[in-house]
Amino acid sequence: MVLKASASFRESIPGQFVMVRMKDCNVPFLSRPFSIYSVHSRAGDTFIEIMYKVAGKGTEAFSRLREGDILNMLGPLGRGFDVHSECSQIILIAGGVGIAPLSFLAERYRKDTASAEIICYMGAGSSEALVGLDRIEEMCSVVKISTDDGSRGYSGLITELFERDMGLYSDNKSRIYSCGPNPMLRGLYELLKNRPFSCQVSLEERMACGIGACLGCVVKTKSGVAGGGLVRVCKEGPVFDINRVEFSEDNGY
Amino acid sequence: MKLKMGVNIGGLALKNPVMTASGTFGYGEEYSDYLDLNRLGAVIVKGLSLEPREGNSPPRIIETASGMLNAVGLQNVGVRAFINDKLPWLRRTDSSIVTNIFGETIEDYVKVAEILNDAEGVAAIEVNISCPNVKRGGIAFGSDPVLAAEVTRAVKDVSRLPVIVKLTPNVTDITEIARAAEAAGADALSLINTITGMSVDIEKRVPHLKNVTGGLSGPAIKPVALRMVWEVVKEVSIPVIGIGGIMNARDVLEFLIVGAKAVQVGTANFLNPGVTADIIDDMERYLSEKGINDINDLIGTLKI
Repeated sequence: MVLKASASFRESIPGQFVMVRMKDCNVPFLSRPFSIYSVHSRAGDTFIEIMYKVAGKGTEAFSRLREGDILNMLGPLGRGFDVHSECSQIILIAGGVGIAPLSFLAERYRKDTASAEIICYMGAGSSEALVGLDRIEEMCSVVKISTDDGSRGYSGLITELFERDMGLYSDNKSRIYSCGPNPMLRGLYELLKNRPFSCQVSLEERMACGIGACLGCVVKTKSGVAGGGLVRVCKEGPVFDINRVEFSEDNGY
Repeated sequence: MKLKMGVNIGGLALKNPVMTASGTFGYGEEYSDYLDLNRLGAVIVKGLSLEPREGNSPPRIIETASGMLNAVGLQNVGVRAFINDKLPWLRRTDSSIVTNIFGETIEDYVKVAEILNDAEGVAAIEVNISCPNVKRGGIAFGSDPVLAAEVTRAVKDVSRLPVIVKLTPNVTDITEIARAAEAAGADALSLINTITGMSVDIEKRVPHLKNVTGGLSGPAIKPVALRMVWEVVKEVSIPVIGIGGIMNARDVLEFLIVGAKAVQVGTANFLNPGVTADIIDDMERYLSEKGINDINDLIGTLKI
């Protein structure tokens, strides 16, 4: 979905998100958070692109929108990914619509660091769910695919595919960025936990306000790590260093 | 002729009757990019306890029909950190600052109220009595008229500030609690707090909230809130502040007409962080159109 937005969105950082709500309508009631998929300007206007999968009342309502409809949108919100211009190898690990902020990040790396090699691991339920594949392929030197049903690429989890290749990457050269369902992030955490890779993940939580007031989106971070305790995904996140997040069942992972 | 929007709530003079409900407005600063806080009648901050609280485990919120359930569990920085870290920033606004307080024992409430006596810039205390009293088997202070009176009197005895008692709707007869709080010295009442509810994930057969139950807010509860405000206004002589599902100026006007002297906007802040400024603008427009010069002339004018 492409939304015309105010000029302030031009400064959006990959990993930041927007809160979107149907105008003057209480169904769905709360705004929905979406990572920014891309930002572009045309004829002096700024446009924000978001990617969504119909999963509930909110996204179903969005799917019924028509061109020209007006929505309420707040943003850009939260803390995005750290971009390191000196970095020579970028590894993206995406699950489903988690590709959206990573695609925006790849775009930024392409623009800022033309020489960086970008490798993407993209997993989805089936080949039809590999939305955004064409765009990410244009920006990456390699895109490796997995599907749960085996309809395209490796049959299984994207983290399994990444695990096989891990020996190819060195922690002092590569940076890993990931976004996807909670079990995938937890799996990635388990793979990386005893290795010194630098990895940032973008988390998704239910939230009401997106600006740090409702405290609905908190997750636990490891105490003992600087800034440990409860953090708000909307404000301190949605992007966190993977080692900071407590991947436990009690924390929703 | 200049429109008069000011109201007086038991010694607390407000520039207009629109406040932000505790727990929906952080410590004010969260909203400063989206709203000129000086527009507000009062900012009511997130409920404060004696010691910091982590609150409940996630998930803490779930959307419901025209509303939401929350079980945040009163996460807050504690009264001392509020005074040291949050209040200095907030004091720069010229809106009144109201601190919402809660505790698990009467002694907790008293200590928090005493600490706030020395805090510069706090205009009033709102006492959340919806919490369980751990010394009395967990029964909520606000669901028993004797306990409600006890905590009200204890806070009144030590506080130098106007004391607003915030009532829970999770009772058989809210007027009984209202009368008890008034008799114990409350300067004003605010109602309603959230209505206890729950929601279930039918695929996993688990509650949507980790805490199982949560507090329902949003437009779904407005008719209940309005009815309770109307009932309480008839039974007490102290000012009543209406809370519950206010989304726009029309909702505020309903509360004022049934007799609330002021209102608190809660969940609507989450959907539009600038909503309170829109509400105040629209109220002023309504009053001008109706030829009402003083908002107090509208309060309690319900015809039955």
